[in-house]
Amino acid sequence: MNIVACVKQVPDTEAQIKVKGDGSGIEEGGIKWVMNPYDEFGVEESLKLKEKFGGEVTIVSVGPARTMETIRTALAMGADKGVQIDDPALYNADAYATAEALAAAIKGVSYDIIFCGQRAIDDDSAQVGSILAEILGIPQVTFATKLEIDGTAVKATRPIEGAAVVVATSLPCVITATKGLNEPRYASLPGIMKAKKKPVDIKKAADLGVTGASKSKVAKFTPPPARPPGKILCADDTPEGKAAELAKLLREEAKVI
Amino acid sequence: MELSTFSIGHEGREVFWNAEHFEPILFMLTFVAMAIFAYGVYRRWLMWTAIGKPEDRTDDRNERIKALLKNGLLQIKTWSDPYPGVMHGLIFFGFVVLFFGAAFDATEFHVAEPLGVPFLVGKFYLFFSFLMDLFGLAVLGGVLMALDRRYLTKPDRLGYKGEPDNRPDDAIVLLLIAGIIVTGFIIEALRISVTWQQTPWEVWSFVGWTLAKAFTGVSPEAAKAMHKWAWWIHTAFALGFIAYIPYSRLMHIITTPANYFMATRKPIGQLEPIKDFENAESFGVGTIEEFTWKQIFDSDACTRCGRCQDGCPAYLTGKPLSPKKLVQDLKNYWLEKAPGAVASRKEQLIASGEGAANINPKLKALFAWLDKADRIVDENLPKGPEPTEKAMVGEVVELDELWACTNCMYCMENCSAAIEHVPKIIGMRQFKVLMEADFAPELQLTYRNMENNSNPWGIGAHLRADWGKELGVKTLAEDPNVEYLFYVGCAGSFDDRGKKVSVALAKILQTAGVSFGILGTEESCCGDSAMRGGNEYLYQTMAQANIEVMNGYGVKKIICTCPHGYNALKKDYPHFGGNFEVYHHTEIIAELIEKGKIKIKIPVDDVRFTYHDSCFLGRYNQLYDQPRRIIKAIPGARLVEMDRNHEKSFCCGAGGARMWMEEHGDRINDARAKQAIDVGAKTIAVGCPFCLTMMSDGLKFHGKEEEIVALDLAEIVWKGMGLEEEKAPVEVCQA
Ligand SMILES: Cc1cc2nc3c(=O)[nH]c(=O)nc-3n(C[C@H](O)[C@H](O)[C@H](O)COP(=O)(O)OP(=O)(O)OC[C@H]3O[C@@H](n4cnc5c(N)ncnc54)[C@H](O)[C@@H]3O)c2cc1C
Ligand code: SF4
Ligand code: SF4
Repeated sequence: MNIVACVKQVPDTEAQIKVKGDGSGIEEGGIKWVMNPYDEFGVEESLKLKEKFGGEVTIVSVGPARTMETIRTALAMGADKGVQIDDPALYNADAYATAEALAAAIKGVSYDIIFCGQRAIDDDSAQVGSILAEILGIPQVTFATKLEIDGTAVKATRPIEGAAVVVATSLPCVITATKGLNEPRYASLPGIMKAKKKPVDIKKAADLGVTGASKSKVAKFTPPPARPPGKILCADDTPEGKAAELAKLLREEAKVI
Repeated sequence: MELSTFSIGHEGREVFWNAEHFEPILFMLTFVAMAIFAYGVYRRWLMWTAIGKPEDRTDDRNERIKALLKNGLLQIKTWSDPYPGVMHGLIFFGFVVLFFGAAFDATEFHVAEPLGVPFLVGKFYLFFSFLMDLFGLAVLGGVLMALDRRYLTKPDRLGYKGEPDNRPDDAIVLLLIAGIIVTGFIIEALRISVTWQQTPWEVWSFVGWTLAKAFTGVSPEAAKAMHKWAWWIHTAFALGFIAYIPYSRLMHIITTPANYFMATRKPIGQLEPIKDFENAESFGVGTIEEFTWKQIFDSDACTRCGRCQDGCPAYLTGKPLSPKKLVQDLKNYWLEKAPGAVASRKEQLIASGEGAANINPKLKALFAWLDKADRIVDENLPKGPEPTEKAMVGEVVELDELWACTNCMYCMENCSAAIEHVPKIIGMRQFKVLMEADFAPELQLTYRNMENNSNPWGIGAHLRADWGKELGVKTLAEDPNVEYLFYVGCAGSFDDRGKKVSVALAKILQTAGVSFGILGTEESCCGDSAMRGGNEYLYQTMAQANIEVMNGYGVKKIICTCPHGYNALKKDYPHFGGNFEVYHHTEIIAELIEKGKIKIKIPVDDVRFTYHDSCFLGRYNQLYDQPRRIIKAIPGARLVEMDRNHEKSFCCGAGGARMWMEEHGDRINDARAKQAIDVGAKTIAVGCPFCLTMMSDGLKFHGKEEEIVALDLAEIVWKGMGLEEEKAPVEVCQA
């Protein structure tokens, strides 16, 4: 079974994000870049399927030079080869343009199943997996927390409000992975060393026959407003008095009730 | 000399009395016993050398000989535990004296007398006789103590989890020793019972003399006949003892002193770094062959005395780990694997022509002969256990054992045989982490956090210097011309309690006028948790990052508040080009107090302080005194010691990466907090942020957090100096 896992390099969840002065993006200096955490579930599931059914795992990622480190991380976990799509035209790509580039690259490799993370933690769109499946014309199951494959039959479990549904489909398909699907492995040291020598193809948009043109554009980034300092209610020291004061402030100042 | 040649004023005894013609047979038997002994050692030698990677333990020879004399001959380590110390001392020193006595006898008979210069006569003989009997009694006393301990008192440390671990040779050896002494006394008594009228001075052989009374009424002929029998039995026991050495626990007579000679000369707890990650094929120790020969030899030096187990925090809180059991399990595994390894090594040597080619022809003949003997023995002796196919890591040493160790160093510090447990444990952890990447998910998260944010908590690396923002502490980037670098470490930078300690120390240093700076966000995690948790690769990444920055600023002296960083920077960073003078803050504070640079003004009202020795300060770095001196400088403070203190201190449970792992069952920190509560401490002083967390949590567990506080010594001094500004976390309503 040949498997493709799409991974995105994102800022570490703990990284301090500063918006550029002109609002065109974020300051990249000092940021620790990591593999999108949901993509780790996809990579892990790929490796599990490979261990079970054999085949090859290919990592595909759209991103600038630094993205190579994330591809190597996936290779260190045990994936076999990588494709990096590094083209300035795609540096600010929206979900559609990204999915289009991924689809074009994936068409060049043989695949039975494709994994994406349920969403990327940086822009939080949760669309790439779905668009990718649409472009490739194959089924998709999003938010998978459990996956069973028997021949070409696929059964994926996804959580819904207060319950879980099991979706049946067939290979080839796109699965977007979420927490619960598995526990991503820690790369072994021989894995890390071998990863340095595994093949990664670097492609330009033109090599894939895509333009990288986005359908949408981020107009402006703004940081969230600074959290105002806390306030201690002092006017009246009885619980009733404090409650009344709180209600008043919530209504008049915060305008939430 | 004949009995008749002795008289009062010229006292002595006829060596070989009543055994005049036994000598040739004795010679022959001695030869046989020695041959059996030598052959046993030879077989063991083959086993010691058949498995394991090479390692040199012969450098620094003078120090090694000193260690050998100190602990092999003078038994210094065994004394550190009174009952077993005395017990072993009686047997050991008794035997040494008796051995020399036998040698004196032999010299007298074979050398001195024929040369006409007998020396075992007169006053010296009397003294000699007295001494022999005295030490004979000592040995018996020791044996009785040992029998009592092993079979009646039965302390847990001689077993495992309440189950005694007595083996047949434990009893055989004790009875054999007792037998040698008792028959010796009987021979003496029988001789005296026949000759006492001619040799009144034999009263100096006071045991024999007293015992001789038991034989009054026995005719001289009968006594002589009995004497002959007793003489042979004594000889059989004594020679049996020699022959039995390499085949029983007596082997420790050779292996334990040898192990002292070969004990590591490195600073305590220093670990050999893995070199050349790029080209190494494997990392850590997954199979017994990946241990060094010395690490394997260790297990053959273990006497199962159980001292290590007696203070192992993991064992004492019900974890499966016991350092003794670990060593013994490895030994048994080695014993199963060794015969096969010996056979294949022999084949290898024969095939390569090595071993035979450069050997002197006589030796060659000897080896050929020994090989033949080996074959005969192997074919005819009952077979040992079949070599197991068990995996060493995971089956022989179970993972729960492997990961329970806090690296507290109690076992190594207190082992009576200089066994090095901790590096073995770390080696096996390295295998699990680096080779198999199979280890606790919590620890995986910790390592990812260290990789991504250079701290085990995974808090944003950009927040590292925030604790000192309001204090005006400068970074080296702002001002590199300072005397000390304050290496804050992760706890001091990210943990709320730890940050308070950093603030306290910074204020103390500022008040004392010490010039210092920090690295700010250029600082990395020290890597100790990674190193001790088996992730040497990650550890080296962290260490190299720190060293590069520190060397970039030309750092010379460093102060650490965390003993883990302190130990790593001091002992392990030199491996990677980081050579600094590293101090723990308690060393600095103690010195500032002594020099009068700071003064603890605010007295406490007879508050009972206890000091919890952090393993990485105490056992790893012998910093026992400075922290206590600080407490003694607090006006009104009383220092009470917990039962387990100094070298025998009990770990808080956080070392060896355990800080980041789930602990199941009884918790080590709760056990330690209980010990502090039991001595009536009101303040538990610590010198380590991990200990601080652990002791605070332990106090909460026992519901004592209102009555007892755990404080870092920096905080104690800071309060005592009146530097602490109570700053409410939020604005409070004014009344
Ligand atoms: C965490 C998260 C973040 C996301 N962020 C973004 C983002 O930033 N930008 C973005 O473009 N998308 C984003 N999306 C994706 C987007 O919300 C969905 O792709 C889109 O709403 C369609 O999703 P769906 O197919 O699951 O629709 P559904 O949930 O099935 O339905 C969406 C809507 O479609 C209409 N609809 C569906 N079925 C019918 C019907 N039978 N009859 C009439 N109307 C119908 C209704 O208006 C309905 O509310 C995000 C999704 C998630 C989970
Ligand atoms: S280092 Fe401490 S925890 Fe580990 S085995 Fe030795 S005594 Fe036990
Ligand atoms: S390892 Fe050392 S302390 Fe432990 S039982 Fe063996 S000899 Fe005794």
